[in-house]
Amino acid sequence: MTEERAYLDGRAVAIEAGETILSAARRLGIEIPTLCFDARLAPHGTCRVCLVEVAGAERPHAACHTPLLAGMRVHTQSARVVELRDRVRALQLGATRPGPVDDSHPYLRIDPGACIACGACVAACDQIPGRSVYAIAGRGSHSHLVHGPGDQLAASRCVGCGACVDACPTGAITDRDRACAAPVERTTRSVCGYCGVGCEVEVRATADRVLSISGILGAPVSRGNLCIKGRYAHAYQSSAERLTEPLLRRGADFEPVGWDEAISWLGERLATIHRESGPGALAALASSRSTNEACYLLQKLFRVQLGTNNIDCCARVCHSSTAAALRITTGTAAASACFDDIERAGLIVVAGANPTEAHPVVGARILQAARRGAVLVVIDPRRTELAELADVQLQLRAGTNVALLTGIARALLDSGRVDQEYLRDRTEGLEDLRVMLQDVSVADVAAICGVDPAELERVATLLGAGAPGLFVSGLGLSELSQGVDSVIALANLAMLTGSIGRVGAGMLPLRGQNNVQGSADMGAMPDMITGYQPVTDPAVRDRAAAVWGSAPPATPGMTVTEMTAAASRGELRALWAQGEDLAQSDPYQERVLAGLRRLDLLVVQDSFMSETARFAHLVLPAAGALEQDGTFTNGERRVQRVRAAVSAPGQARPDWEAVRDVALAMGADWGYETAADVMDEVARVAPQLYGGVCFDRLDVGGLQWPCPTLDHPGSPRMHEGGFARGRGRLVPVAYIPSPEADLAEHPYRLMTGRVLDHYNVGTMTRRTPNQTLAPVDWLEMSAADAAREGIGDRETVTVQSRWGSIEAPVRISERVAEGSLFLTFHQPETHTNRLVGPGVDPTSKCPEYKLVGVRIIRRPAV
Amino acid sequence: VSAPPRRALPQRPATPPLEALRAWRAAHGPPTQADVVALGRTTGLPASTVRAAFEGYADLRDGECDRHACAGTACWLAGGDANPTDRASAERRAVSCLGHCHAGPATLRTGEGVVSGPSGPCPEPDVRCRASRPVVTGRLDTHRGLAAARSVGVWSAYAAARGRSGDVLVAVEDAGLRGRGGAAFPTGWKWRAAAEAHGDQRVVIANGDEGDPGSFVDRLLLERDPHGVLEGLALCALAVGASRAFVFVRSEYPSAQRAVAEAIAEAEDAGLIGPDVGLEVEMVVGLGSYVCGEETALLGTIEGGPPRVRARPPFPTTSGLYGCPTVVDNVETLVAARWIVAHGAGPFRALGTQESSGTKAISITADFERTGVVEVEFGISLREVIAEAGGSDLGAVLLGGPMGSVLTPERWDVVVCYHRMRAAGVQLGHGGLIPIPIGTDLRALALHLSQFMQEESCGACAPCRIGSERLRDRVEAGDASGAADLGELIAATSLCAFGHFMPGPISALLALAEGQP
Repeated sequence: MTEERAYLDGRAVAIEAGETILSAARRLGIEIPTLCFDARLAPHGTCRVCLVEVAGAERPHAACHTPLLAGMRVHTQSARVVELRDRVRALQLGATRPGPVDDSHPYLRIDPGACIACGACVAACDQIPGRSVYAIAGRGSHSHLVHGPGDQLAASRCVGCGACVDACPTGAITDRDRACAAPVERTTRSVCGYCGVGCEVEVRATADRVLSISGILGAPVSRGNLCIKGRYAHAYQSSAERLTEPLLRRGADFEPVGWDEAISWLGERLATIHRESGPGALAALASSRSTNEACYLLQKLFRVQLGTNNIDCCARVCHSSTAAALRITTGTAAASACFDDIERAGLIVVAGANPTEAHPVVGARILQAARRGAVLVVIDPRRTELAELADVQLQLRAGTNVALLTGIARALLDSGRVDQEYLRDRTEGLEDLRVMLQDVSVADVAAICGVDPAELERVATLLGAGAPGLFVSGLGLSELSQGVDSVIALANLAMLTGSIGRVGAGMLPLRGQNNVQGSADMGAMPDMITGYQPVTDPAVRDRAAAVWGSAPPATPGMTVTEMTAAASRGELRALWAQGEDLAQSDPYQERVLAGLRRLDLLVVQDSFMSETARFAHLVLPAAGALEQDGTFTNGERRVQRVRAAVSAPGQARPDWEAVRDVALAMGADWGYETAADVMDEVARVAPQLYGGVCFDRLDVGGLQWPCPTLDHPGSPRMHEGGFARGRGRLVPVAYIPSPEADLAEHPYRLMTGRVLDHYNVGTMTRRTPNQTLAPVDWLEMSAADAAREGIGDRETVTVQSRWGSIEAPVRISERVAEGSLFLTFHQPETHTNRLVGPGVDPTSKCPEYKLVGVRIIRRPAV
Repeated sequence: VSAPPRRALPQRPATPPLEALRAWRAAHGPPTQADVVALGRTTGLPASTVRAAFEGYADLRDGECDRHACAGTACWLAGGDANPTDRASAERRAVSCLGHCHAGPATLRTGEGVVSGPSGPCPEPDVRCRASRPVVTGRLDTHRGLAAARSVGVWSAYAAARGRSGDVLVAVEDAGLRGRGGAAFPTGWKWRAAAEAHGDQRVVIANGDEGDPGSFVDRLLLERDPHGVLEGLALCALAVGASRAFVFVRSEYPSAQRAVAEAIAEAEDAGLIGPDVGLEVEMVVGLGSYVCGEETALLGTIEGGPPRVRARPPFPTTSGLYGCPTVVDNVETLVAARWIVAHGAGPFRALGTQESSGTKAISITADFERTGVVEVEFGISLREVIAEAGGSDLGAVLLGGPMGSVLTPERWDVVVCYHRMRAAGVQLGHGGLIPIPIGTDLRALALHLSQFMQEESCGACAPCRIGSERLRDRVEAGDASGAADLGELIAATSLCAFGHFMPGPISALLALAEGQP
C-alpha cells in the first residue's frame, strides 16, 4: 500500500483523517494567518484570511475548513494568496463601525468599534458554554454583533466563562482584569483551586500578585476552557484580608507571632493534651482545598505521632455517601468513568447535580453532548439548566431518590430490557434485588415522589433502549439521611443497564472541592489510611508500619460531625482544622459553635480569618492554591501537578510544611524537603492506587489512578475487565422517608446548594467581583407558594426549621416546585446552616443538607 | 474507543420558533427589548437569535404589507419601479422576486394574488417542450390533486421502488443527473455520500427557494405538480435511507405553499408518506432571504437560526441538518430524478449530450415574444433557445440569474451543456433567461444588480459582506475599473457561490457600457 500524502509548499505530508490544511500546515510549522479561527471550535471560515491555493482549484480555499486530501498540492505563500489575504484583512479591518462600549459586566468588555463581525464569539458561546449570548444580526453590510436582549452583557445569559474573549481576534471583547494590569513577570501552568473538575490553568503574575488566568488548550479536562470562577475570580489572592502571620490567642485577642514560636507552642500544646487526656482527645480535619501532600502529612501526624485515627475531611459532609455506596457496590470509592466518557455517551443520567453551575466546565460538556443528540435524563427536585434541555426530567420531591430510583429499576426489570449477560457475568445480588422490587410499584413511587408515572416509565424505556449509560450524580443524592442508599439505588440502575466498566458509561459522581478526591485518597478518613486501606485490617497496619515506623491504631476514629459533638460534650479537647470552615459550612450550627467554644486547643490553617478561625487558639496563615507546589486529585481520579504561580503573602506557608514542622518539633524524623518527597512516600504506602505516581510523570495532563507502577499509563476508567471487588453488587435498598419530610409544623422541603458565581462559603469568591454578580443568598420559592403565603418577590422572610431560624430574601422562581425551597449558603450573614439539623446518613454520617423541613414566617409590616 | 454519537434530529414543535416570530410580527410589529426577552422565553430561542432573525429576514424586518412589488431583474427591466434596496413603507414592500418574470412588473396584492403592471391580471405562463420528450414539464398542465396526479402515474415509481432503494440510487447515478439549481453537482454522488455517511438519522430536503430573479420553473412545479415533487423527494429519502424530509418554499410563493401543504396532507392521508410509513414530510416556509436558496443557509433556517451561510466542507451530506447527513436538492432536480426512476436511466441518457444528460427547463422572461417555460434538451445552442423565445433587438441576455452571465450575441452559439458552458465561462444557473434590449441603460442595470447583491448578501464572510456594499458604491460612482478590481477580490475569496459569482454580470455590464454614451 502506498502512503497517502499531499504536498504543502512542496513538502510531502502524510494524510491524517479529517485533518484540515491549516492544522497540517501548523503541524509542519508553516504559518498561515487567521482571524476567526479558534482550535476549540468547528471552523467557520468567515474571515477568509487563511486562504491558500490548491492546484487545480478554481479559486483559493480557506485552509481552516478545507480537509487536506491525498494528492493535493497546496501553496500557502504564493504571491497571489498573500496579496488576497492582505486585501481581505484590510477590507474587514477598515470596515469597523464605532458603537457604545458595554462594560456592564465586571469581567468582560465589549467594544463594537473593534468588531469585524466574524462570528467567532458567536461560535464560541454556542459551542463552549452553550449560552448563545451573541449573534450577528442584520445582513450584508448591515451585519453587526448583538449580545443578549439589549447589548448589556450583565443582563444577558452570559456565564462569564470568557470563551468569547479567547475567540475574538480583534480585541472587541476583552477581559477587564487584563486592561491595566502590571507587566507579567511569571507564567505558570497549574490547576484551578475551585471545584473538583480540575481544569488546568495558565497563571500570569508578578512575583506576588496574580494578574490573569486562562485555560490551556489541549488540557485533558478543560480543553482550554474555564468558568467564571477559575478564570476571573482570583482577586481574593491579593486581598488585604489575607492572613500573613501566625496569630496566637491572648485572651480575647490574637497576637502575631513568628513561625518558630507558633510551631513550638503548638507542638507543646498537642503533647500536653495527649499526655493529659490520651490520643482520643485530639482530632484533625484535613482540607479538601489543600494539596494531597498536606492531607497525607496531617493524617500521618495524627495516626503515627499522636496515635489516633480521629482524622476526617470535608468529603464527610459531601460525597461520603457516594464513596461508601460505590465501595459497597463496586469496591472502589471513586468514579468508575472519566470526563471523556461524556462525549462518548449515548445516554446520560444526571441525578442530584447541577453541573452547569457547580461544575461549569463539565456541565457545559454534558450540555453540548445532549445538544449533539445524547439522550439526557435529569433527576432533580429543581428545574436546572440541564433539566430544561433534558429528554425527561423527573422533578421529584427532595429526599425521595431511593423511591424513585427503585421505581425505575422495577419498571426496567418489568420491561425486560436489562443487560442479562452483564448481570450474569459481572454482578451478584440480582435475585435479592428482584425480590425487594416485588414490593415496589411504579404508581406508589410516582405518588411518593410527586412525578408522573408515565414519565417514570419513559425514563425506564430510555434507559433500556439507550444502555449503557453514564450516571452523573451530585450532592443531591449524597447529602441525605438516605444518601448511601440513594447512590446504591443509582448504581443498581447502572448495573442493570450494564454500564459500569463500559466506554461512555458508568458512575461519574461530581466532586465538590478541587482536592476532595485526593483528601480521601490520602487517608483523611477515620477508618482508612492512605489508599482506602481499612485500619481494622492487621495486614494494612503492618504494611503501614513498614513505611511509617509504627502502625496506626486499630480502632476507627471520629467523623467530623462526631468530633464537634464530642467537643460540645468536652470529650474532645484539641482540634486541628486545616482549611475547613466548620462554623459556616457544617450542619446544626448551634452544636458546632458550642463544640468550638469548648475546645482547649483549636488550630486553624487558613488563608483568611474564617468564621471558625475566630474561635481558634492558634491561626496559621496558609498559602493558597496558586501559591504552592503539590498535587490535587480531581473527580475522575486524575492526579495533577500544582505549581506556585506567585509567592504567598507575608509569612503564609503551604499547609504541608507547617504540618511537617510541627511533627519535627514533636520529635518525628521526617525528612521531606519538597512536596515531591511526600508524594514518593504516598506511592509506597498506597501502591495499588498511587504506586506509579511521582512528580516527574505529572508534568502534562497528570495521571489517573489506579496507577500501580511507574510504567503504568493510568486508568481513565475502572472495572473494565471486572469489578474491583470481584463482582458488582446489586443491593436491595428500600425507601425510608426522611425525618425532615412531611413535618406538620415545618411543611416546606428546603434544599441548600450553590450558584454559579460563588464557591461554597464564599471565602474566595466573596472577595472578588463575583460578589457584585451574586451579592445575596436568595430563597427560591415557587410562585404558587409565594401567592399562598402572600409573599412578594424580594421580600425578606423568616425561615424556621426545628434546629434554627434565619432570615432570607425570597426570589420567586420557576426552578423549584410547589412545596420546595432552595437556599444558598455563600454569605456568612445568612447562616444557612443554622437551619440544617443533626440528621446524618447512618452509614456515611453525611449530613442532610439537601432536605430540611422548614416553615416560612412573614415579617410583620414595618 | 467508540465514535461519539451523531446529533439526532429533534422533533419540530407544532409552531417552530421562526413561525412563532412571524406570527408575532404580524400581530405586534417590531419587538422591543422586553418583547425580545419574552419571545426568547416562549420560542426557546436565545434572545440574540431573536434579534438576528428580526434583522436578518426581510419578512420579520419589514412585516406584512398589502403590496409586495417585485424588484427582480426582469420586472425592473420591464419598467418596474421597485429597487431591491427600497425600504418597506406602509403601502409597499419591495421583494425579489415573485416568480412572475414572464409578465412583469409583478405585484403581489393581498387577497388578489399577483397582478401584472399597475393592476392588470397576470396571465399564466406558457409551458412548452422542445425536447424529444418532456422530463419535468410533462405534468405542468396541472396535476395538483392526488387523484389527478395518480392518473398520470405519479407515485407509481415510488410504489415500485420500495424495497429496492439500491436500484433508485444506481438509476440516478447511471442517468448522470446533475443538480438543476445552478451548481450542477452530480445528484447520484450526493445521494450516495449521504447514504454512506455515518449517522443514525438522515434527512432529505426539497429546495424550493427559487430566489433567482428570472426563473420560475420551480414555482410552477410546486404549484402544479406538487405530488411529482413529493414523489421525487420520497424516492430520494428511499435512496439515502432518510426518515425525515422537508419541502422549503419561499414566502414569496404563497400559491406554491398552498399546493405543497395540500399535497403533503393528501399523501399522508393516502398513507404514502407520514411517520407511520417511516417518512415524515414537513413544509418550511421561508422568511424573505435570497441566501436561503444556498443549502447551508437553508439548513440554518430550518434549525431556527438567522439566514446565514455556513462553511463547506463539511458538506450537508455528511453534516447537515442538526449534524445529520442531509441531501438538499432543487425542486426541478427531484422531478427529474423521479422521471429517471419511473423510466430508467437509459432513456434519460438518451436525452441531451454525453456530458449533460437530460433536459433543462429554461424560464423565458418578459419582453421575449414567447415567454414562459421551455424545456430543452442539453445540446441545443443558446441562439436556438433565444430564437425559440422570439428574442429580437437584443443587445445581450442575462442567463442564469443575477449571478449568471451577460452574453452578447456573438457568444450565443454556446451550447446548453454544463461541461461546455463551464469551458466557455458561462453560468447556466437555474436557467432564467432575461433579455437585455438594445438601448438598455447598462450602468443602471449594473447598479440594480449591485443593489440586489448588497441587499441579499448574508454577511457571513467579510469579502461579500463588505465588498457588496463597496461594489455598489463603485458602480454608482461609475468606477468600472474599481468595480472590476474589487469584483475579482470578492469572487476569489468569498465563502459561497453568492460571492463567487456576484461580480460577474456587474463587471460585464460595466464593460459593455464602456461603448455606451
